[in-house]
Amino acid sequence: MNNLVFGKYMPLDSPIHKLDPRAKILAMLVMLVAVFMPSGWYGYLIIGVVMILVIRLSKLKLSFVIKAFKPMIFMMCFLFIINIFGYTEGTLLLSVGPLKIYWEAITHTLYIVIRLLLMIMITTVLTVTTKPLDLTLGIEYLLKPFKKIGVPSHEIAMMISIALRFIPTIIEETMRIMNSQKSRGVDFEEGKLKEKIMAIVSLIVPLFSVAFQRADDLANAMEARGYNPSGTRTRYKQLKYEMRDVILIAGAIIILVMMIMLAIFL
Amino acid sequence: MPIEFRELSYVYSKDMPYAYKALKEINLEIEEGKINAIIGETGSGKSTLVQHLNALLLPSEGELEIAGYTIRANEKTKGLKYLRKKVGLVFQFSEYQLFEETILKDVSFGPKNFGVSEEEAIIKAKEALKLVGIDESMYEKSPLDLSGGQKRRVAIAGILAMEPEIIVLDEPTAGLDPKGSKEMIGLFSKLNKEMHKTIILVTHDNEVVYNYADNVILLSHGEIVLNKDAREFFDDKELLDRLHILKPQIVELKELLNAKGYKIGNEVRDIKALAKAIKEIKKHE
Repeated sequence: MNNLVFGKYMPLDSPIHKLDPRAKILAMLVMLVAVFMPSGWYGYLIIGVVMILVIRLSKLKLSFVIKAFKPMIFMMCFLFIINIFGYTEGTLLLSVGPLKIYWEAITHTLYIVIRLLLMIMITTVLTVTTKPLDLTLGIEYLLKPFKKIGVPSHEIAMMISIALRFIPTIIEETMRIMNSQKSRGVDFEEGKLKEKIMAIVSLIVPLFSVAFQRADDLANAMEARGYNPSGTRTRYKQLKYEMRDVILIAGAIIILVMMIMLAIFL
Repeated sequence: MPIEFRELSYVYSKDMPYAYKALKEINLEIEEGKINAIIGETGSGKSTLVQHLNALLLPSEGELEIAGYTIRANEKTKGLKYLRKKVGLVFQFSEYQLFEETILKDVSFGPKNFGVSEEEAIIKAKEALKLVGIDESMYEKSPLDLSGGQKRRVAIAGILAMEPEIIVLDEPTAGLDPKGSKEMIGLFSKLNKEMHKTIILVTHDNEVVYNYADNVILLSHGEIVLNKDAREFFDDKELLDRLHILKPQIVELKELLNAKGYKIGNEVRDIKALAKAIKEIKKHE
């Protein structure tokens, strides 16, 4: 559970950490769109190199981000199998009995996998370099214009920040309950199916009961302090765009345009 | 065989920018058959230390010898599950471990995990529940419907039912009312005296340490400051002052009286003995 890289903020001091969260969110969205352009190998190569540079800039270890890829291996195999059956024509690569594997099945799988890996890279860089609170603040600011059409931007941001806030707490709680049950002889790694189910039950029941209790306490604490979602409030932390944020968004847009060009002309 | 820590270190989030060394080259010997109190401020590494005792945490460096097992850093030890039967660990806020439909089932969960038959587990569970003072009429109730104090008792019964040789308790009385905590500590004392169990108790309450512990282990910033006989520890006024230990009330009172010219010796350890001593002195005046 401690290997949960995805979304875990790392307190480092880097130019990427200093960027405005709104700019980072916008740039991420633009980059995600760029990843989904059918721009071919060159396009992915460009995005990959850019992302590696960004990771370098953010002082993260590349191996740290690559760790986030690990859970994807299962997905890759799954996709590959689906694609083998999905492609019934093209350049024949290999034929095992009635099963024919086409070159296209492999390239197509690779396309999807590379896209997914790039997406993970992009989103990981965002969440790892931005404090969860800044992230929700950014989301709230970005959603503000949609308030006019009835999008409850503050409530959404509040929900996200509460959810994010409680991820570590719930993980901690899970570890604690797991440790308690391990002390009572529960084996979470091995055992027969029946024992495994029992192990999970012994974890989930207390976890739920604690989570509901916590939710109740938090709701009471918020109400006791007079929290009113529709009230107007001021903020200690004001977001301000700076030159580097403009450069970031411009850079992301340039890459998107490049991808569109590649998609059209290649 | 004593429990022995040799040059044991533990690092949280190893290889991360926020790695944190919670235990620093600990050397410690804990005698069996005694009540050992581990004290120290929050964050001094008490809970980390205690979780090594049943191998929930494995040392980053150094080694630990306990109940016939030797656990070394970077080395897999077999049968750790059965170490957990020998070393019963009761966590802080242990009531969160309850999950079964009935109290009896929950308490018999531990022994069953260690391969005890259903019937035998129920017998052991009943014995343990009796020890912690849960009435037979409650056996079929849901553990989630109990009050906080009762939940704690059921949780502790869940560990006692495994019949461990060493019982480790991380703040077992936190959040209990005074009467409840006194009964709880009384129970551990009884387990030690009558069943000769080794008790290792993490606590913030120096009154408890003073009244019940045989031995005191003081931790600070992940290092052992001292490991000493409890009586000697509380009799050493200079030491207590130097380490900023909050003195038990009796010790404080004795100090105040002695400052006024009374001569009350170290052998006076509880309120009755103190009253007697004062009476003696008054008689002679």
